[in-house]
Amino acid sequence: MIEVSFEDKKIEVEPGTTLVDAAKAAGVYITTLCHNEQLEPYGACRICSVEIAEGERRRVVTACNYPVHKPVTVFTKSERTLRTRRVILEMMLARWPKVKVIQNMAKLAGVEEPRFAHPDRNESENACILCGLCVRICKEGLWHNVLAFEGRGPTRKVTQPFGEISPECTGCSACADICPTGAITMVDDPNHPADPARIRKAGQVVTREMILLDHQQALMRIVGTAHLVEIMNDYDLLPVNNYKFGDHPDAEKISSPHFRKKYFTQGVPDACYLGCNMACTKAVEGFELKTGPDQGKFVVVDGPEYETLGGSSNMGIFDPEWVIEMNYYCDTYGIDTISYATAMAFVMECYEAGVLNQERTGGLELPFGAADAAIEVLHQMAEGEGFGLTVGLGIRRMKKLFAEKYDADAAFLQDIGMEAKGLEYSEYVTKESLAQQGGYGIALKGAQHDEAWLIFMDMVNKQIPSFEDKAEALHYFPMWRTWFGLNGLCKLPWNDVEPEDNGEVDEPAKVPKHVDGYCNLVAGMTGKEVKPADLILQSERVYNFQRIFNLKMGFGKREHDVIPYRSAGPVTEEEYQSRAERYDGQLKEEQGLDPAAMSLAEKVAATRQWREDRYQKLLDAVYKRRGWTADGIPTLATAKRLGLDQMEGLTELLAAHGVKE
Amino acid sequence: MPKVTIENLSAIAAEAQEKHAAYKSILLVCAGTGCVSSGSLSFRDVLQKEIDNRELSSELKVVATGCNGFCAHGPICVVQPEGIFYQHLKARHVPELIEQHFVQGKPVEHLMYRAAKGERAIPLEKDIQFFAKQQTIALRNRGRLDPEDIADAIRRGAYQGLQKVLAEGIKAEALIDLILRSGIRGRGGGGFPTGIKWQTCRQASLERKETAYVVCNGDEGDPGAFMDRSIVEADPHAVIEGMILGALAVGAQEGLVYIRKEYPLALQRLYKAIDQAREWGLLGDDLMGSGMKFDIQVHQGAGAFVCGESTALMASMEGRAGEPRAKYVHTVEYGFRNAPTVLNNVETWASIPPIVSKGAEWFAAIGVGDVSQSPWGGSSGTKVFSLVGNVCNTGLVEVPMGISLREIVYDIGGGIPNGRKLKAIQSGGPSGGCLPESQLDLAVDFDTLQEAGSMMGSGGLIVMDDRTCMVDVARYFISFLMDESCGKCTPCREGLVAVHEVLTRITEGKGRREDLDLLEDLGAAMKEGSLCGLGQSAVNPVLSTLRYFREEYEAHINDGRCPAGACKALIRYTIDTETCNGCGACVKPCPTAAITGKLKQVHIIDQEACIQCGTCLDACNFDAVRVE
Ligand SMILES: Cc1cc2nc3c(=O)[nH]c(=O)nc-3n(C[C@H](O)[C@H](O)[C@H](O)COP(=O)(O)O)c2cc1C
Ligand code: SF4
Ligand code: FES
Ligand code: FES
Repeated sequence: MIEVSFEDKKIEVEPGTTLVDAAKAAGVYITTLCHNEQLEPYGACRICSVEIAEGERRRVVTACNYPVHKPVTVFTKSERTLRTRRVILEMMLARWPKVKVIQNMAKLAGVEEPRFAHPDRNESENACILCGLCVRICKEGLWHNVLAFEGRGPTRKVTQPFGEISPECTGCSACADICPTGAITMVDDPNHPADPARIRKAGQVVTREMILLDHQQALMRIVGTAHLVEIMNDYDLLPVNNYKFGDHPDAEKISSPHFRKKYFTQGVPDACYLGCNMACTKAVEGFELKTGPDQGKFVVVDGPEYETLGGSSNMGIFDPEWVIEMNYYCDTYGIDTISYATAMAFVMECYEAGVLNQERTGGLELPFGAADAAIEVLHQMAEGEGFGLTVGLGIRRMKKLFAEKYDADAAFLQDIGMEAKGLEYSEYVTKESLAQQGGYGIALKGAQHDEAWLIFMDMVNKQIPSFEDKAEALHYFPMWRTWFGLNGLCKLPWNDVEPEDNGEVDEPAKVPKHVDGYCNLVAGMTGKEVKPADLILQSERVYNFQRIFNLKMGFGKREHDVIPYRSAGPVTEEEYQSRAERYDGQLKEEQGLDPAAMSLAEKVAATRQWREDRYQKLLDAVYKRRGWTADGIPTLATAKRLGLDQMEGLTELLAAHGVKE
Repeated sequence: MPKVTIENLSAIAAEAQEKHAAYKSILLVCAGTGCVSSGSLSFRDVLQKEIDNRELSSELKVVATGCNGFCAHGPICVVQPEGIFYQHLKARHVPELIEQHFVQGKPVEHLMYRAAKGERAIPLEKDIQFFAKQQTIALRNRGRLDPEDIADAIRRGAYQGLQKVLAEGIKAEALIDLILRSGIRGRGGGGFPTGIKWQTCRQASLERKETAYVVCNGDEGDPGAFMDRSIVEADPHAVIEGMILGALAVGAQEGLVYIRKEYPLALQRLYKAIDQAREWGLLGDDLMGSGMKFDIQVHQGAGAFVCGESTALMASMEGRAGEPRAKYVHTVEYGFRNAPTVLNNVETWASIPPIVSKGAEWFAAIGVGDVSQSPWGGSSGTKVFSLVGNVCNTGLVEVPMGISLREIVYDIGGGIPNGRKLKAIQSGGPSGGCLPESQLDLAVDFDTLQEAGSMMGSGGLIVMDDRTCMVDVARYFISFLMDESCGKCTPCREGLVAVHEVLTRITEGKGRREDLDLLEDLGAAMKEGSLCGLGQSAVNPVLSTLRYFREEYEAHINDGRCPAGACKALIRYTIDTETCNGCGACVKPCPTAAITGKLKQVHIIDQEACIQCGTCLDACNFDAVRVE
């Protein structure tokens, strides 16, 4: 730590801290103009000039970008400091006499009438004062480069390319937001929203948070969702070897720092749509393919994202280049990386358990980690040949096939075949989060985390301890997330980057400030005021409609919300033993048993019984909260409340499943 | 072509020397930019043709060299080995020159230099006063070799410093120590000790395990300066060798030369030299067979003065706008592409090889002060200046540090032409300062000039005679800098406009008494508040003229008078009725036909029509025109 002294205060700061930040921490005020916390220090206006002493050496520096590396004394009121600031303000006042910020600062500095006439005197109150904030927010903050300076010396001005409104401009209005003089006006949106200013304001909040907070919280703009790999590995949540385990010593090789350093090439925003300021899409460019029909070609690969990386660890493969290759071919073939990876993980476990062998795989050796064989299967799947034909059937059909054809133990296959409603699990280990087991099991479209992602709330932060709490969460969050789908919006800006003070609000997991922001978007677009509860109601209607649709198609009941036991607890003794301390502890604390007196098999069985029972209790609680019957079907009252009773044949459909009221 | 190795360099040099010595005479025709523009290339072509026609090509070799230095007398041809100096050559002189000098053995007197009209011809270059007091290190090969032929450069000693380092296995630390002990300080303006810069860079590179870059600053934006251009044009291999030695010292593998596009000849010769060095194994993957890897890229600048500033230069090379950033973090540590970077000036780089081959002590002994403890102790070695303005011998000069301004102006420069008086010397480029006649005995070194309120800068010297108005001069430099300011920071961008406004109103006789305080106030804020060296030093021309020529400012403000008679708004041209004999010499030259009068009668100037251009003043042979 280094000491920074001001006239009457002292403070210690980390080396490299700027004088402005040190002053702020010490409660000393230094005037700034071109400085903004969202941006790199720039040092152009020079208003923040202060005299400093470092040892013998005295000089004037700009506080906004001067880094402290030696003990320093700052003279914020010395004659040199004041004179420099005064004369600079005199220069500015001579050119822009009517601009409020300048008038105010000049007044504070005691500047009255400039002593010379500026040839380019500009009488506008909203004149551009060349602070460069707009140019920099566009470039550094949003990577857009729509605004730039043009001209040298006195001819310098802010402009867009060729002096025209740039087609690259997304209209994010961050520049207008940051401009201290109001020099930038926005041209109205071609979609004719009811209240464009309100939408812009809501957007500006998001933009500011992305610029300021993303790099502290998530790094979505830098590495995208890949940053989850290391977090999941740290919390025992990264699927390894078909969800047996939650971490691996080699996970670092496929973690985001590694990708950032070696593979991700895009330093520019690559967003699903141009206006997104989170822009989490990342890519690997100039990648040489090693296998398959495009072998030897240099290609651009879009990704990899977290699920693709987690899928790889789930197969026991920790080779970053292999992931990129797999990512490329899945994209090219039109195969979902999650379904492919989870299905392969199942196949690999079957191979290790003896259900499969080389004869059955067409000669491929497929234990966990068999990278070359795994990519070969991917090519076969796409070609519709060899063992790829089998894997391409998906886990649900493979389970049936292996039991029938190879006489495998159907119950074991059910335990380890990670699918629900026929859809392969996405890449999170859910064993220690009951709520998330429900999140996967009850999800309408199958085992997908998109409806509810409650692991941190439940397992890490322990915010939803009781069944009722979990049921409430499994009501609110699926409805809320459904709302994004209803509006064609992405959910990531809602909670991947959160407001700075989110931790202090009542229900941080809901990110209430952001929910308010969405209400503003809806109101700004439609002209109708909405409250958060209105949004949930919109979703609830659709969600229940979908559940009823599922019912009609033969998928909408309790029996369809079953989950493979691997997602709830340790299937095998090996698995139990890998986390023995945890499971033993739970036997003792949750069930009042004495693990020391039990055999391993007994412990596995007891754990299973307890966990499976809790899942059933969870279903009871969730169904109740949602206004469903014990069989998981919306009651007639629920349907009425949501106005679904007008659906033709609804009463008959419900009645056919025993629901009469 | 041969691959140069540590072992065979001297053999290659000897072989080239042998071929060279086989000619009876070498005719070194200056093909520097100055001489080229006065026709040296067509002279050279005709010369070569004549030699071929007379079948003398086995005896006489014509070499097109870089700038000889004495540009005012171009086109120039020096005949070696004797060193006979011919000037103002035209194609029509060729037959006579060949016949008389090379066939009959009688050098042609009327093509030789004379100190003044009617004085005797001085045959030998070394006897010409202009050259006599010069000592060349950076310009050691000027006008001595063919810059487009690497073999000729090797003959003159190129790459011997490098050979020495590689052959003797001199370690990077020892090399840096040698540069430190030589005391050499940067020739690009700042005068920062080169050895310290290299040392810091090496340390940063080692600490962060990041490969350093070496960069050559050939931006040379000072108006009227052409030191760096001439070095590159005359001896590109000196710069290349210097950079290789720098790369060895700091562990760089890549070097960059930043040169402005307006220097096409320098660029062409540099590209050629780099290509040849690559072909001969002096750049690339295995330098001189030593295993060292180093190559050089050339980056063409668009010609902005501010791009000579280190951070702006690097921004420009990275493809960004050439705007400076704060140097609280130095470029030696975080420079080009954020890697540790050594940036040195062309002249600095060109001085490195002789220091390495002749030794630190040799260099340290030239110049002033004591650099044995630290390079800050003095100014060692020589410095190249471009001597221009109201001086007889304009051109490029290289002199030992510590020489007096008087010696440069009078001994080398031959004094002020037309019998006028010296008024001031401006040194240090546009943001340098103006020193008065009373400071003529000042020693020219980094620290003395700085103390006197001027600076060494990169080596521009502009001599001004008594017809120069110092307020107007200050205004000229301010107006140059105003256009060249990048405009990023307020004090420079707006301050230059303000200072320009104030100076303009003074030269127009509308100055106010408070204006001198105002100038000092503005100057202080610009000096302390500006972001980069441009703005920080931009007011030097004003502050130094205020310091030494304050009464001239006061005359403008208080009496509405321009003592030098230069500020148009303040002067009237009249014809003295006593002196005018009515010769009419002034009538025709006047561009506005403002002068009337019958032959042999007194002429008068119509004040309405007069635009104060001063043409009549020069035209009158009887000093009858008066400036009021
Ligand atoms: C406005 C400005 C312009 C400059 N122009 C040049 C230039 O044209 N050539 C140059 O060598 N140095 C120039 N410099 C100095 C360089 O920033 C730098 O100090 C120098 O190239 C370092 O090399 P040296 O130590 O060998 O002198 C300039 C500096 C400033 C502030
Ligand atoms: S001092 Fe001048 S040239 Fe330097 S950054 Fe400021 S405006 Fe640009
Ligand atoms: S606020 Fe520091 S230079 Fe503008
Ligand atoms: S260009 Fe020929 S002497 Fe300078």
